[in-house]
Amino acid sequence: MNKLTGKIVALETSPHMSMVDVDVDGDVFCSIVLETPASAAYLKQGQPVTLLFKEAEVSIGKNLSGLISLRNRFKGTVKQLEKSPILTKVFLEYKKGQVVSIISTRSAQKLALAPGDEVEWLVKTNEVSLLNEV
Amino acid sequence: MINLRLKRQMQTSRGPEWIDLDLSMASGGFVSLFGKSGAGKTTVLRMLAGLIPPQEGRIEVDGDVWFDSGRKINKPIQQRKVGFVFQDNCLFPHMTVRENLAYACLPGHHDGIQEWIGLMGLSGLEGRKPHQLSGGQKQRAALARALVGRPRMLLLDEPFSNLDRQARLELQDEIMRVYRKTRITMVLVSHDLWETFRMSEMIFVIDRGRITKNGSPDEVFVNNDLSGKFQFTGEVLDICKEGVVNILTLGIGHQITKVVAGDEEISDLKVGSMVIVAAKAFNPLLFKI
Amino acid sequence: MNYDWQPLLLTFQLALIVTLILLVIGIPIAYWIAFSNNRFKYVFETLVSMPLVLPPTVIGFYLLIAFSPQYAMGHFLESALGLKVVFTFTGLVIASVLFSLPFMVNPIKAGFQNFPTALIEASYCLGKGSWETLWRVILPNIKPALLTGVVMAFAHTIGEFGVVLMIGGNIPGRTQLASIAIYNEVEALNYQTAGVYALVLVVVSFIVLFLFYYLNRRVLRIF
Repeated sequence: MNKLTGKIVALETSPHMSMVDVDVDGDVFCSIVLETPASAAYLKQGQPVTLLFKEAEVSIGKNLSGLISLRNRFKGTVKQLEKSPILTKVFLEYKKGQVVSIISTRSAQKLALAPGDEVEWLVKTNEVSLLNEV
Repeated sequence: MINLRLKRQMQTSRGPEWIDLDLSMASGGFVSLFGKSGAGKTTVLRMLAGLIPPQEGRIEVDGDVWFDSGRKINKPIQQRKVGFVFQDNCLFPHMTVRENLAYACLPGHHDGIQEWIGLMGLSGLEGRKPHQLSGGQKQRAALARALVGRPRMLLLDEPFSNLDRQARLELQDEIMRVYRKTRITMVLVSHDLWETFRMSEMIFVIDRGRITKNGSPDEVFVNNDLSGKFQFTGEVLDICKEGVVNILTLGIGHQITKVVAGDEEISDLKVGSMVIVAAKAFNPLLFKI
Repeated sequence: MNYDWQPLLLTFQLALIVTLILLVIGIPIAYWIAFSNNRFKYVFETLVSMPLVLPPTVIGFYLLIAFSPQYAMGHFLESALGLKVVFTFTGLVIASVLFSLPFMVNPIKAGFQNFPTALIEASYCLGKGSWETLWRVILPNIKPALLTGVVMAFAHTIGEFGVVLMIGGNIPGRTQLASIAIYNEVEALNYQTAGVYALVLVVVSFIVLFLFYYLNRRVLRIF
């Protein structure tokens, strides 16, 4: 599970859902949750939160061009690769910490991923959970 | 309403400690006293039953005072009319299942026996002595015996702890069925998070003789700070490493499911650990059945 | 040869009566010692076990003093109730009951003490009082302890010598027991008669103990 800590900077709500913008060291992440400030008090500007998302939800792109619907799209550096027949675990250096991605070994080969590669990593807004930092 | 105010010294592995608590519960509810062994929960249950007296305090059940140290009231256990199911089944070894149930009945009021034998799935076993029964059958017989005399509440002292997984689930279902049918007040003492969570309506967490937390199972056990809406409590049944990930087999309710997890996610888990399984509400696929 | 069977009959008659009395008084005494929280129960427990360590003649001596019509209690018993104790069969029964008390009480007490408390609590929870719990739950489950008490008390009464000699004297047909008769015959150099008495005691004792051990293993285990 990937964990990043940040602060809520903006909120957009509808009756049962919220789109939450979270600032992590200058990058803005988006998360959609089935809560609103009325049902969950921690949904407020300035609130410190932890972003949680599973490794397998993190996609990796190299030399991306064109438009893409994914809003969470950040730069990182491949630090290390751990391969198994089906899946490959990619350790990325991101900001001061690390983000781990699990992608198929086939994709890793297609992208010719190697340590030191500059890549972009992506995660869908609906895959990002928020954990209230008390 | 059941109101307890209890004070009593108990001997623990850490030396003498005081049970000192004050709790209220609704009659007709399913309440659990949850905590580690040695926390004092069994002692509380025994004081409620009248097996041991508090050194100080008051026990009141639906306006009826069972114990009051100030007014020197201590209603004998025989008059409290509580059903008690012990950790080790306490069937009388020289009596058959039927005789055990008959012992609990007043003379001439044996009509409920056959019904309870049937309800507890003991038909055909009524002529057996306890040593001829399996662990699960013994506990079901003990449950039937506790209920056949129509008690006003049923006290369960770790009734599942000596049973295997299958027998445990069956007995839990049996108790829930009885509870829904009779709406008799149930007080369960347990150190098992899973069964407590599954069965109770109200939980008192007891630690070192004091109540540290109370509320509904969700309020007590579920981490409400997590935004995931798709959330269950389960038990880890198996952990299996597969390449760069781990496959966890989880028991959730009566279902067995598998979940993929990373190394650091499972670093403090082992078979038997309780976990909250949460996912974003967007992910589950639904199929009509 | 013409043997006098009276001493043997008297011995078994005494053993039977004493055992029955001990069973009736042994159960409540053992119950009290096992379950009471009274501080004085240890004093009582010690007194019950005294016959195990004291020479029989000591007990016999005290009983003789206590019941002798020359002293207060014996005098009272004889004048007020017309009860003669010393040198009578009644005296033998009283002395034997006291002397065999630990043999009945101790096994039953152990049976009570080893009985699972939880079963007693279960019975109380089912609305039953201590009397009903004793009769319907405890006693049926400690049959081996009861049998041990009965057999030990019976066998021990048969084997008595010192106490019964002191309190009962040696009156043929009334207080002369087999053990005393054997002693008499040996003193009179009637070895054959003594041998027959001794053999009967050996055989009967063997049968009683054998049945006890056999029943304890084979029958009483199955409840």
